Amino acid sequence: MEQNMDLDLTKLEAKGSGLPRSESAPFENPPAEIEQGPLYVNIEERMPDLAADDQAPAGKDSELPVDRRDFMRLFGTGAVMAATAGCIRRPVEKVIPYVNQPIDQTPGVAVDYATVTDAPLAYGIVVRTREGRPTKVEGNGEHPMSQGATSAYDQAALQALYHPERRKQPQSRQSGTPLNVEWDQAYKGVADAIAKTNKKVAILTGGSTGHVQDFYKEFLRAHGQSEDQLYTYDARSLYSEMAEAWEQAFGAPGLPRTDLRRTDYVVSIGGSFLDQGIAQVYETKSFTAGHSFRPGRMGQLIQFESRMTMTGTKATERHPIAPGDETGVALMLLEAILRSPDAKGSKEEQAEARKIVEEHGALIAKTRESLGYKESMFDDLATGLLANRSLVMVGNSESTAADGTALQLIGIAINVLIGAVGKNIYYDRGWFRRPVEPRGMARLMKDMSDIGVLIIVGTNPAFSMPASSGFQSALKKVPTVVSIQSLPNETDEYASWVLNSHHYLEAWGDCETVAGFWSMRQPVVRPFTGSRQAEDILLWVAATGGKAMPYADYRSFIRAKWRSVYELIGAKVDFDTFFKAVQRRGFVGKLQRRTLKPMAAISGLIKSSPKPGGLKLVAYIDNRLIAGEGAALPVLQEVGDPLTTVTWDTFVCIAPDTCRKIGVKYNQLVEVQGPAGTITASVYPMPGLHPDTVAIPRGNGHKAGVSLVTTGIGVDPLPVLGGEQEAATGYPVTGGQSVKIKPLNKWYRLAAMQKENDIGNRTDIVKKTGLNAATANARKTVDLDTVPDLYPDLPKGEYLWGMSVDLSRCTGCSACMVACAQENNVPQVGREQILLGREMHWLRLDRYFSGPVENPTVTIQPVMCQQCNHAPCEAVCPVYATTRDPEGINAQTYNRCVGTRYCANACPYKVRRFNWYTHKWNVIEADPMNRNPRALNPDVTVRTRGIMEKCNFCAQRIREAKHKARERGPKAKVLDGEVKTACQQVCPTDSITFGNLDDQRSRAHRLRKDNRAYLMLGGDPAHKHYGTKTLPNVSYLADVVWEQNKSAGKPEGAPDKEEGDGHDHG
Amino acid sequence: MSEVKWTKTISDVNDGILANLPNPHPSYYVAWVTSIICLAIGIFCWVYQISYGMGVTGLNAPVYWGVYITDFVFWVGIGHAGTLISAILFLFRAKWRNTVNRSAEAMTVFAVITAGLFPLIHVGRIWFAAYWMLPLPNTNNLWVNFRSPLLWDVFAISTYLTISLLFWYMGMVPDLASIRDRTKGVKRLVYAIMCFGWRGTAKQWWHYEAGYGFLAALATPLVLSVHSIVSWDFAMSIQPGWHTTIFPPYFVAGAILSGCAMVYTLLVPVRTMFRLEGFITKEHLEACVKLTLLTSTLVFYAYATEFFVAYYSGNPYEWAIFEKRAVGPYAFYFWVMTACNCFFPLLWWSKRIRNNVAVSMVIAVLINVGMWFERYNIIVSSLVEDFLPGSWGHYEPSWAEIGLTIGSFGWFFFWFLIFCKFFPIVSMSELKLIMPKPLNPKKSH
Repeated sequence: MEQNMDLDLTKLEAKGSGLPRSESAPFENPPAEIEQGPLYVNIEERMPDLAADDQAPAGKDSELPVDRRDFMRLFGTGAVMAATAGCIRRPVEKVIPYVNQPIDQTPGVAVDYATVTDAPLAYGIVVRTREGRPTKVEGNGEHPMSQGATSAYDQAALQALYHPERRKQPQSRQSGTPLNVEWDQAYKGVADAIAKTNKKVAILTGGSTGHVQDFYKEFLRAHGQSEDQLYTYDARSLYSEMAEAWEQAFGAPGLPRTDLRRTDYVVSIGGSFLDQGIAQVYETKSFTAGHSFRPGRMGQLIQFESRMTMTGTKATERHPIAPGDETGVALMLLEAILRSPDAKGSKEEQAEARKIVEEHGALIAKTRESLGYKESMFDDLATGLLANRSLVMVGNSESTAADGTALQLIGIAINVLIGAVGKNIYYDRGWFRRPVEPRGMARLMKDMSDIGVLIIVGTNPAFSMPASSGFQSALKKVPTVVSIQSLPNETDEYASWVLNSHHYLEAWGDCETVAGFWSMRQPVVRPFTGSRQAEDILLWVAATGGKAMPYADYRSFIRAKWRSVYELIGAKVDFDTFFKAVQRRGFVGKLQRRTLKPMAAISGLIKSSPKPGGLKLVAYIDNRLIAGEGAALPVLQEVGDPLTTVTWDTFVCIAPDTCRKIGVKYNQLVEVQGPAGTITASVYPMPGLHPDTVAIPRGNGHKAGVSLVTTGIGVDPLPVLGGEQEAATGYPVTGGQSVKIKPLNKWYRLAAMQKENDIGNRTDIVKKTGLNAATANARKTVDLDTVPDLYPDLPKGEYLWGMSVDLSRCTGCSACMVACAQENNVPQVGREQILLGREMHWLRLDRYFSGPVENPTVTIQPVMCQQCNHAPCEAVCPVYATTRDPEGINAQTYNRCVGTRYCANACPYKVRRFNWYTHKWNVIEADPMNRNPRALNPDVTVRTRGIMEKCNFCAQRIREAKHKARERGPKAKVLDGEVKTACQQVCPTDSITFGNLDDQRSRAHRLRKDNRAYLMLGGDPAHKHYGTKTLPNVSYLADVVWEQNKSAGKPEGAPDKEEGDGHDHG
Repeated sequence: MSEVKWTKTISDVNDGILANLPNPHPSYYVAWVTSIICLAIGIFCWVYQISYGMGVTGLNAPVYWGVYITDFVFWVGIGHAGTLISAILFLFRAKWRNTVNRSAEAMTVFAVITAGLFPLIHVGRIWFAAYWMLPLPNTNNLWVNFRSPLLWDVFAISTYLTISLLFWYMGMVPDLASIRDRTKGVKRLVYAIMCFGWRGTAKQWWHYEAGYGFLAALATPLVLSVHSIVSWDFAMSIQPGWHTTIFPPYFVAGAILSGCAMVYTLLVPVRTMFRLEGFITKEHLEACVKLTLLTSTLVFYAYATEFFVAYYSGNPYEWAIFEKRAVGPYAFYFWVMTACNCFFPLLWWSKRIRNNVAVSMVIAVLINVGMWFERYNIIVSSLVEDFLPGSWGHYEPSWAEIGLTIGSFGWFFFWFLIFCKFFPIVSMSELKLIMPKPLNPKKSH
């Protein structure tokens, strides 16, 4: 049958597109030599810089074939896919052994493929495959949106790909009970439903850029439907609000792209760009590049927020405000800027801004009164904004406020008046494409009654929309719902047809995140669950229903569409070569520009009124679980929320003072009573919250049975919400609805990994230094390695591996924890085991609060094995299972370990992890922790029970780099930057640097000599106190506390309180 | 020691002691069955733990050691008094030890055997630990780590067990001969083999005395070494609360305290079961109490010193542990320990209480409880909150750990009671040395 299908497809294509079907790709020989020279270059030098358009990689692209060698590492699928194109549809379960070894694969040697994520604003990734199985996701170092980093969510993509609960067959649910059917039946069923209905056919998808929406529109056109019946939706409403506001203000669609790399002074009002924002990896990368400490200079971030976010922890000055106060605060700031004589912008724009302020006098007065802010504070902010390279970021994607779009508009007005638009925030060149239609969901709700067939592709609105919005009840009334999903979800329950689609790592596609920058999505694995690509399903449905579209498959659609990209780029090679080069590299780009009109009259669009006081709910989208998409992935559940460290649960964050007032304690169950309903969850008293905030993460609380992983985990806060809608986009309001808290006399323990939040009087764990002190000492070096002791000298190896972790950069995004788990086959253990304190993370994030509980300073410290040169664990092991490797790694010999656990007791950093049970890898049964063995990294041993394990600096990566070095010559050494540990590679903040400490020129060596460097538990070497004298090879760089630069006396906005009071300055 | 008021004479010894072996007091059987039930519980728990993994315990990160190591140190400590009483008091010619040394030595041997089980129960992979911890030659050239205090333990405990066993057995040879003389058939043969054909000639006695003296001298340093080395399991790691130089003497004092208290706890019921009141008199019990009281004050002093040093060190990590021991989440264990080991024994300064067997028995049992809690306190409260506040945790023993602890008592009493039944629990030959001679010597049997 499959054979016939392929024949049919050929015919279809032959009469259809008329594209040359060139499938015979030339076999590419492996490179004869590998480029010599330091592989580590500054990220700034290497990245195609979107802002500096003259150096845009467009010119380089035209010479792609010449640069082929650079991309050999990302060995293309051109050849692979050509060889397998005929059989791509056939699920092949067993990949090993190769009887006939494919010519482009060597068993044991990884092959990397470039592709893109499925986020609305996707970024490039490189997927490492072994013998045809993807084993690790990395950021595509050349992709401007990724710059080598990934988010925690995308690191976990492999768990979604290999998820044991992926359906093996399409399902028909017409009779109510799910019935597995063959694909032919499914195509026929859907085609019949489309043919029979006399109502509209519509498609609902998640946010995306690129050609996929064109494809859906073409599908609708082929069926004689209007293109408007394509609806797009993403629960993160910031995409919509921002797109709506910017389009209203400037008359052109898109999303603005920030350039935080060139920004010193950021005021964020309810912003959470380091948590999620619209492009978390990109913005985190550029924020840390631009704002982290450099001698004499450090960016300022002034944060106004109602809950505690990771962005807030990085703020140099943080102000808790009540949910809903964001507009008021933004207006106060706008008012202050207007007061300043330096305000920029044209006369009309200023007049418009003045109008906005005047119309909202009451709101400003109310907010000022309730928050108790002085005008002078905002004058200082305005001065700071106008004197520096500055930017104001407003609104967050985690929750939707009733006036979210109005806030965006005010934000635009502020950015215009401080001159940031076109300088630090771009809408006229290299802007982001709009991934979702701002009013898509609102339009769908309105049209739903006219829809006969609704095809939902890859989105789960039945879970992410609150019941009070009426979405679910309207969806129930749609005669035929077709749910095309790669993992089972709640939307399936409403569907007559549930079709199992590819995970994005199996699929074709493309995206244009930044205008003019096109990325290609290509399969990195042969589909193995019997799933099909969503777009191919639609092609088949169309063909079965006699409305055949002129494409053999979605890949040929992409190829056809890429003709225009080819022309846009203006490559000097033929299309096939171009296409393959792009596949290899992952993306191609040419900076796009457009001329913007001045800011339109927006004052009339801003409608915001004072809000009542009292407790208000912020049901926020968790940055790992998103709006539920990540919930079925154990690794994301297990890394926990970075600020509460709670895993596998939903918690109610309330400010400690408010907790005292309403009489609730940590772990006490409370009823959250909202306009539409009530939920029950445990309380986490969260320092730094505004007293009126009740923050509950979304993502958990899935329907029982949807996935074994999510069943019984957490509660969904959405049922609490009333049907209030965002004024402009119609998104359901999730932030700022009034709620009541009713304490119950019941307790439920949250599986928090960290039990103690206060570092107390311990001075050599987390060190901080002031900006001035750090600047003054910047040229001085420290010597951490001269510690007097009676031991003989350590044996010296060829290398001395070491790591440096910069506390001033880390935001706590947890991507490193997920990457570590994926790279090192670290098992997930589940809520019960975490409650017992048995998490297995090789790398954990310790989080400490200090300062006033109303507005604390938060320090997040990544802690991995410190690889001590005098390791306390080594001496105590009776069987030599842990030993110092001559290269400075504290090696653990799993096979030799008998499990006395003495090493773990002796370890002062408590980084060792014991296998209390054997964690199974090949089944998913009642225990959702059991994982699929295919997702394991074959380079890393799987540990059984009774064995101690821990971080080993990704020893397998070091070995691989040494092998590569050996290929260069018998004496060739591993170059600096050639080995990256998993945590380092993924880190969007570049906090982690790994390298050879013996190499005087290595970055790791330099950072160990840095004045801010210190060893954890290393005492105070400056005063001849050396702490535990463990001599770790991991050093930390002290956090830098922003302070007024006394010498320069720049007119920056003076913070009204000194940060870092009461901390020792290291 | 006050003057013993003997009611029996030498000629009563063999009759009085050996006659009771075949028909002990019924409470003996009750105790024996109870110990078998406890042992069964322990065996079940162990089998369960080996089948499912160490996860069945309450152990976690950061508390990687818990009840098992507590039990280990507890039983090693119990095993301490035996050598002290039999060897050191022998060398000091303390006459009262002749009545209690046999039971103390038996206790030592069985307690050390019990203790030896716990490292095996505790490890994650017993199937390897059972022989990888021994320096056995192998083709892989894998050797044990002689720097590890756990390995020192292996040697210390096995040496101690060997010497204790020899000492105990050698002292038993003349008594075994006495039993041989009273039994018939197969039993006689077995006892005859066990006593190596002892005939009680002057030459044999001469050799016996010399050998016994030498063994006593050899065993004496072990009294100090075994528990010092066990204490190094803790003191050699850099964990605050463990890493102190006071640990060896402190542990030795604690071990003697628990051992003496255990001797008392065992003597009182055994005395009744085998009707030995005429041989183990109140005065002997009182002497044992006095020794216990002495060591209790030593332990009290050690606790105080430990606290003072922690404070005086100025090390915030060290002091934080001690502060929390006294007032933190694990304060309950600390105060149980202090009350049982330091305050209750103070009642023994009163002669009336000292001589009241029931009350003294209660205090002795409390000391045993307190000493268990001492080890629990040292291990758990130090581990639970150490250097990095971010990794602090919590620990509660699971049913498996409690079951195995109960099982260890079952195991110990199982062997001890069997021993009481088949061997004289009072050293007859040595008892005769301190008992008055009969005024009218009867004819011997």
